[in-house]
Amino acid sequence: MPFGTDAPFLIEAAGLEKVYQRGDEGVVALRNVNLWVLPGEFAVIIGPSGSGKSTLLHLLGGIDRPTHGQLHVNGVDLVAASEAALTRFRRDNIGFVFQFYNLLPSLNALDNVILPLLAKGLGWKAARARGADMLAQVGLSHRQKHTPAQLSGGEQQRVAIARAMLLEPCVVLADEPTGDLDSASANSIITLMVELNQRLGVTFIVATHNLNLLRVASRTYEMADGQVMFAPAG
Amino acid sequence: MFALGYFTYKDLVHDRWRSLMTVISLAVVVAGYLLLSSLSRAFLTAGKQTRVTQNLVILSADAIDPMESSLDGDVLQVARALAPDQIQRVFPTLFRHMEIADSILQVRAVPLEEMPAALNLTLLQGSWPSGSQQVVVGEEIARAGSWTIGSTVNIYGTDFQVTGLVRAADTNLAAIWMSYPEGQRLFGMRHGFQVGYLALAPSADPESVRLSLQADPRIASDYTLYLENAVSEGLNQVNHNLVTLSSLMAIVSLLAITFGIYNSTSLSLAERSYEINLLRVVGFTQARLRGFLFARALVLTLAAYSLGWLALDCYFIYRNSYAPLGISEMPLNLSLTASTSLLGLGLSTAFAFLGVWLTSRRLAMLNQLKGSD
Repeated sequence: MPFGTDAPFLIEAAGLEKVYQRGDEGVVALRNVNLWVLPGEFAVIIGPSGSGKSTLLHLLGGIDRPTHGQLHVNGVDLVAASEAALTRFRRDNIGFVFQFYNLLPSLNALDNVILPLLAKGLGWKAARARGADMLAQVGLSHRQKHTPAQLSGGEQQRVAIARAMLLEPCVVLADEPTGDLDSASANSIITLMVELNQRLGVTFIVATHNLNLLRVASRTYEMADGQVMFAPAG
Repeated sequence: MFALGYFTYKDLVHDRWRSLMTVISLAVVVAGYLLLSSLSRAFLTAGKQTRVTQNLVILSADAIDPMESSLDGDVLQVARALAPDQIQRVFPTLFRHMEIADSILQVRAVPLEEMPAALNLTLLQGSWPSGSQQVVVGEEIARAGSWTIGSTVNIYGTDFQVTGLVRAADTNLAAIWMSYPEGQRLFGMRHGFQVGYLALAPSADPESVRLSLQADPRIASDYTLYLENAVSEGLNQVNHNLVTLSSLMAIVSLLAITFGIYNSTSLSLAERSYEINLLRVVGFTQARLRGFLFARALVLTLAAYSLGWLALDCYFIYRNSYAPLGISEMPLNLSLTASTSLLGLGLSTAFAFLGVWLTSRRLAMLNQLKGSD
């Protein structure tokens, strides 16, 4: 697969390996992972617990660094980037959605949504205006002033998705976004993500156990024991 | 800047009970520092060396405490005859340790004319005793006992009126002074006294005179001569220890506030690792994160310092007014000075920031938020 800025792929990963040191022992979380994602795709990574899905997402999002291998996301070499560059990269290119929402409990929905804008240095009023607009897009205009404790699981995940989308990232990484939700809420979240993908053209990469996501995926990877067992051709 | 303040406020208010406990625990550390510093300074003042005066005192040879001494007028005349050029005047003093108004005080009966002359008492308010059942009191114990001109002091079952407040330049000890005849009547001592004073000429060397008198067999056999300040220090064996202790307390107080504030800030921050990591993931740089954490630590530290300072100030006001502290007839005046307060505030702030900086650095190296795997 070609590498570099001329390649059509938004994400290009080759030979990715991640080893965690636990005392004297090294735990291999990923081994020889190859992955390619085109812009605008809805890619799903499926596999059991411990297969390395979250580790892979952390590498793709610049939260962690691979031990070996090559990784380019939106033209940025994440292996060679400095810590400051990775922070900027995450802020400008990546939106994160987690299984347990990871909202700040002390802030209401609107304040949680606008965190990335404030991190980028946008003014308070402008940030709140954009945040309100994004909450409207995920159907939560009426819940702006509610804290996470006052929101249902599905509503909290919608807030998390709105936060992930706010800076118009090139890719949204979702790690088990429906893992903590009942089936009805899970389906509504899936529907929302697909709608945002199709309407706004944002690339989604979702790591999940939920087989319902397979039917909406444009690209699927199956993982086990830190390796990609199945990848689509081309 | 506004966002920083807003999020700091939200964070503290959301976790208000933990924030309150943090403030209280920090306030205890602050109060401990202020208390130790104030005690240190009070000890240092109380334990300071008294100056060498032009007075010698005579006590019985076997007396450890002046109250145990027993003298008569002959010894004073013998001493004067031995050094007529060096000794200007001699006079007797009655001496007692007594519990008065719940404090151990010295009561001294001396000739009235010697109070300002040989004993270097300065009249600050009122007048010297002129009639019966009248006393002057030292300024420190007057403050401690809330005595003013005209107050009544009960000594040995007899009420005395306070006619004046005095400052004793040569002693830190708390004392009440009355005329010698008044003391004789009060204690029933027509003959004999406890302490003999030898007021030397200005040109005399006190130590030389003391040694020469002490060498005479008429003195050496039954009496001991001291420099006046040595008697004061001999009465209070803790003087030197107080000075040493005050230095130790000052060091302990500084260590307490620096490490106490640092630990408390660091622990408080470690409990925030989830929020810190989340903010990092959504794009906050280390510098902006530290700005938020510094703001939070500053608010908590200032609140704690104010609370600790206020609590201790109220305590000192109560203590000094109603139940003053003292050690062995030496009153301890506790107060918060500007230098102590500002030093404590500076150290608290600096070490709170250090706690934030070091802990945030450590947290930045730990694993970030985990997903399902």
